[in-house]
Amino acid sequence: MNKKEASIKNRIQILIILLVWGMLALLCWFLPRQELSEGERRKLAQFPTISWSSIMKGSYAEKFEEAATDQFPMRETVRSIRAVTDIYGFRKKDVHGIYLAEGYLAESLYPLRESSVHNAGEKCESLYQEWLAGTDTSVYAAIIPDKGYYLSEENGYLTPDYEQMKTIMEEEFPEAEWIPIEDTLSIEDYYATDSHWRQEQLEETANRLLDAMGGEALQGLEQKQALEEFHGVYAGQSALPVRGEPMYYLTNDVLEQCQVHHVENGKTLGIYEEEKLTGRDPYEFFLSGSTAIAMIENPQCTTGRELVVFRDSFGSSMVPLLVQSYSRVTVIDTRYVNPELIGDYVELENQDVLFLYSTLLLNNSETMR
Amino acid sequence: MVFASITFLYWFLPLVLLVYFLIPKGWRNGWLLIASLCFYGWSQPRLLGVLVISILIGYGAGLGLEVCQKKSKKKWKTVLLWTAIVLEAGSLVYFKYVDFFIENINRVTGLDIPLLRVILPVGISFYTFQIISYLADVYWEREKPQHNLIDFAMYICLFTQLVAGPIVRYREIAGQLKGRTSKAEDIKTGIRRIIFGLSKKVLLADLLGEFCETVQGFQEPTVLGLWLAAIAFTLQLYFDFSGYSDMAIGLGRILGFQFPENFQYPYAATSITDFWRRWHISLTQWFRDYIYIPLGGNRCKPWKWIRNILLVWLLTGFWHGAEWNFILWGLYFGIILIIEKLVKDRKKKQGNSTLGHVYVMLIVIIGFVLFKETDISELGQQLGGMLGLGGLVAVNQETWYYLQSYGILFLIGIIGCIPVGKWLVGKIEQQELGTKVLAVAEPVVWILLLLLSTAYLVDGSYHPFLYFRF
Repeated sequence: MNKKEASIKNRIQILIILLVWGMLALLCWFLPRQELSEGERRKLAQFPTISWSSIMKGSYAEKFEEAATDQFPMRETVRSIRAVTDIYGFRKKDVHGIYLAEGYLAESLYPLRESSVHNAGEKCESLYQEWLAGTDTSVYAAIIPDKGYYLSEENGYLTPDYEQMKTIMEEEFPEAEWIPIEDTLSIEDYYATDSHWRQEQLEETANRLLDAMGGEALQGLEQKQALEEFHGVYAGQSALPVRGEPMYYLTNDVLEQCQVHHVENGKTLGIYEEEKLTGRDPYEFFLSGSTAIAMIENPQCTTGRELVVFRDSFGSSMVPLLVQSYSRVTVIDTRYVNPELIGDYVELENQDVLFLYSTLLLNNSETMR
Repeated sequence: MVFASITFLYWFLPLVLLVYFLIPKGWRNGWLLIASLCFYGWSQPRLLGVLVISILIGYGAGLGLEVCQKKSKKKWKTVLLWTAIVLEAGSLVYFKYVDFFIENINRVTGLDIPLLRVILPVGISFYTFQIISYLADVYWEREKPQHNLIDFAMYICLFTQLVAGPIVRYREIAGQLKGRTSKAEDIKTGIRRIIFGLSKKVLLADLLGEFCETVQGFQEPTVLGLWLAAIAFTLQLYFDFSGYSDMAIGLGRILGFQFPENFQYPYAATSITDFWRRWHISLTQWFRDYIYIPLGGNRCKPWKWIRNILLVWLLTGFWHGAEWNFILWGLYFGIILIIEKLVKDRKKKQGNSTLGHVYVMLIVIIGFVLFKETDISELGQQLGGMLGLGGLVAVNQETWYYLQSYGILFLIGIIGCIPVGKWLVGKIEQQELGTKVLAVAEPVVWILLLLLSTAYLVDGSYHPFLYFRF
């Protein structure tokens, strides 16, 4: 290659790279700003208003940097490029702690955080001592395994000591009758892209709980489709390009006539809230998501039996399946309500009380109050 | 502002270059000065004053030295030099070391002098050394002082190398401050260096850093885990710092400057003496030229030579940080260099190069454990753990898992440390077909690396360069 050819080659190469770089810069400068990241389910940082004091404090620079990163053009695609490079290029086993095995995205719960599990157990015990000890309530508890329980060991991922988790909980909260449910589930009973279980697959698990609590077995439930393309929380967090999946729900006359009163906002709604399907987290379709206290009235059950469920988000899709045997079900999420206030909403005297928590929450129980 | 950020890559840099190439040549230094001050003051605007005062002292002292020279006032010239050095170095000592000294005085005397908790101005170690070398060169009449304040200020605080080097001597770019051109070849080389530097930092250093953090969080540390973390940190530090240097050199090249190389495949060295000729070259040469040689270098009695080496390496260590581990780290290399020199003098024959590589890497990896761990008791535990002391198991499932997860990254890192790629490109360039293939492949690879690095920046968090703390 002579000097002239080399010079032309250099100029063309420079032009190509500057074109790409310059285009990206122009898009950064002029593309309309985005409010939300659907994948990450969060608000995106916005460019700050300039002021002398914010510049001098350094807060302008900090906020600008955040906004420049958050508002990068085609953010979701760009995040996917990173995820794909991590998994298929660098052959990393997970992206941001989320791995892909047998077509399912799952979160690595390793290592077992014993202090967190102890904390969760103590919180349950404290609730018992405060509201349930000395009453005629029947207290039950069950641990919902996360997807890793069925996936991690077989696929070479690190597995927390689930047995130890169970032992700690049983020791911390001995007053409850512990109902094992892990054998009623398998990986197919969970969404591929979300952390949660699929309601339409939970009949066996619900029957196990109902059986232990003296309820009637489920019958006459019809499966309906709520959503054609559900992209769960792990799809957004990992940014791996995965297909959406249909979301189904179970219903019948009993469930359709139930009314749910949400103490937090004073609204009375149905068991399933269709509006949520187009919201940030479509899983909130079930029982309107995780709310502080929800009271379900079942007009078709005249036994007068009541159930109180202390739960996390997994409970949203399970509780509707337990409703049929009870006249009233009170659902409490102590992440969003101070346990000291429970007595203002429900008088605990002779109800069935179920503590239903997932391993995901037990291992990260700091949010439990 | 850091190079490895969206703000720098897609906001600051395009704007600076656009204006730079559009305005008349005579305005360019002024524009670069403004841009550099914005770059520096971006997140620490209050500390701009420290930089400006240092520049003014350096500028004034340079002119003063010239006046003394012309009037043959040698004594005043020396006084002026030392006054300026004391002021410049004093600022460095105050901002970087004052709390270290107070802590140690309190420890030894039992006093309770409160710490000042002074905020360290970014890059102070680098620009202070640039100013001191400028003053020394003017004093020794190796260079004439810069009369134009804008040109001088631009030399000191040019954003390309202001915060993490390389330490550019005034005499290396004095001519380029006035007249420089950016040819297509320079721009192409500059772009290539920037993208490769960015990729080293974002795709390798940051991910290796992630591995180190993961290992530190192991429930049960293992001997293999500690070794892997030490190797990962050794690789991380190289890619982090050499990546920054690549970007600095590349940016300089686009602007028409020829900055000195700062790294020459240090992990391919066959002795520690060789290693220090390849690692952070601008700093090593600075200490050689402005401390070691003025002290007498090796042309003196053996004990003085040993003193000189130990002093230089103690200062080199201390330059890196106000912690005892950095002093230990400097002395560690000083002692090894003395031993190497003594052994080499006895044994004239060249040693086995494979053994040399293994020896260098072992010394360097252990050296960087000293470098990383600022807590001396933790340091003892870590080194003990690496030697199998302290009852650690050799390996466990967690270690294997992360070795598998980061295995490819380690492999790329190790290959990237040695000049295999350079050799391969050289071979391809020798073929006519190879040259044509490279002409097409090169921009494709650059774009791919730029997009990948951007993706990791967008999906990551904050990526400060390790050498910013110096």
